[in-house]
Amino acid sequence: MSNEAAAAPNPIEQFELHRYFPHEIAGVETSFTNASLYMLAAALGVVLLMVIATSRKAIVPGRFQALAEMLYEFVANTVRQTAGKEGMKFFPFVFSLFSFILISNLIGLIPYTYSVTSQIVVTGAFALLVILLVTVYGFYRNGFGFLNLFVPHGVPLPVLVILVPIEIISFLSRPVSLSIRLFANMLAGHVTLAVFGGFVVLLLAAGGVYQALAPIPLLAIVALYALELLVAFLQAFVFSVLTCVYLNDAIHPGH
Amino acid sequence: MNEDDKRDAEQDALNARLEKLNAALRQREEERLAREAPPPERSGLSKALSVGLNAFAEFAGAVLVGGLIGWKADEWLGTKPWLMIVLLGLGIAAGFWNIYRVAKPKD
Repeated sequence: MSNEAAAAPNPIEQFELHRYFPHEIAGVETSFTNASLYMLAAALGVVLLMVIATSRKAIVPGRFQALAEMLYEFVANTVRQTAGKEGMKFFPFVFSLFSFILISNLIGLIPYTYSVTSQIVVTGAFALLVILLVTVYGFYRNGFGFLNLFVPHGVPLPVLVILVPIEIISFLSRPVSLSIRLFANMLAGHVTLAVFGGFVVLLLAAGGVYQALAPIPLLAIVALYALELLVAFLQAFVFSVLTCVYLNDAIHPGH
Repeated sequence: MNEDDKRDAEQDALNARLEKLNAALRQREEERLAREAPPPERSGLSKALSVGLNAFAEFAGAVLVGGLIGWKADEWLGTKPWLMIVLLGLGIAAGFWNIYRVAKPKD
């Protein structure tokens, strides 16, 4: 029994970091890990897609060009609708974020690969980048008028005393919730897939009647994969929409 | 000279036609986008999962931030439990405020 328990697959194992080239700079770890490898793969994937897509600028687009154009149109419309015309100056930033997250989510769905976006360090770094950009640009564009973001209109003074700290905490919580949302979705999805995969293995190992039940979790995995594909796209979309919403706050802080 | 004028006029006419076509295409595109709104509307488990995780992220983020600020501020100012208690409370309030903002019907 204890042997079988030891053989049970570990659903967390897939998130382990492996150092390929141990390395450090002044005591700070800078090893090249499997996470670095897959981040590099995602970045290269985006660049490759765009290079292939724009290599033959045809009026009637080929497959890759159509894909790239769809991607461009989609992100451009998102930015225009949520952050307005002025938000379009941040289009390159939002597009890079969206395509990188999307590609790494999709790469992570291939079995035996590593899902970079299921690491809160990665999503947290993105979210910090976004919120720093919002804060710096907000102050740069509006000066101290940016602080109006924390003062809702038409609220009596005594209520403001409580509401302003709440608004400030709410603003500061944005990067946290932004990173938790993406990370939790990816983590939950991958853990669920691994757990169901473990069920198949355990049922097969149990032998006898149980083996007949093994296809049931396998079917569940197929359904979950479809769901995960949707989540991979949706979370990339949600991340970029929220980025645009926050940028919109930086452009027009007066609610 | 006359030839040039004629060509210019033709060019202008072509430009005007192109402009008109572009405007029509843009309007078409906008109408199409309005018809099929971008966020894929979903139902059942997947939607519930995403809404739930969204609410969780909004709430947990605010509570974490409030508690962290209070904890660190207490360490600096030596006011041990008090700032953390106050800011944790404010963080929880901000968490509910965040959820309310996400959940309230769009006007």
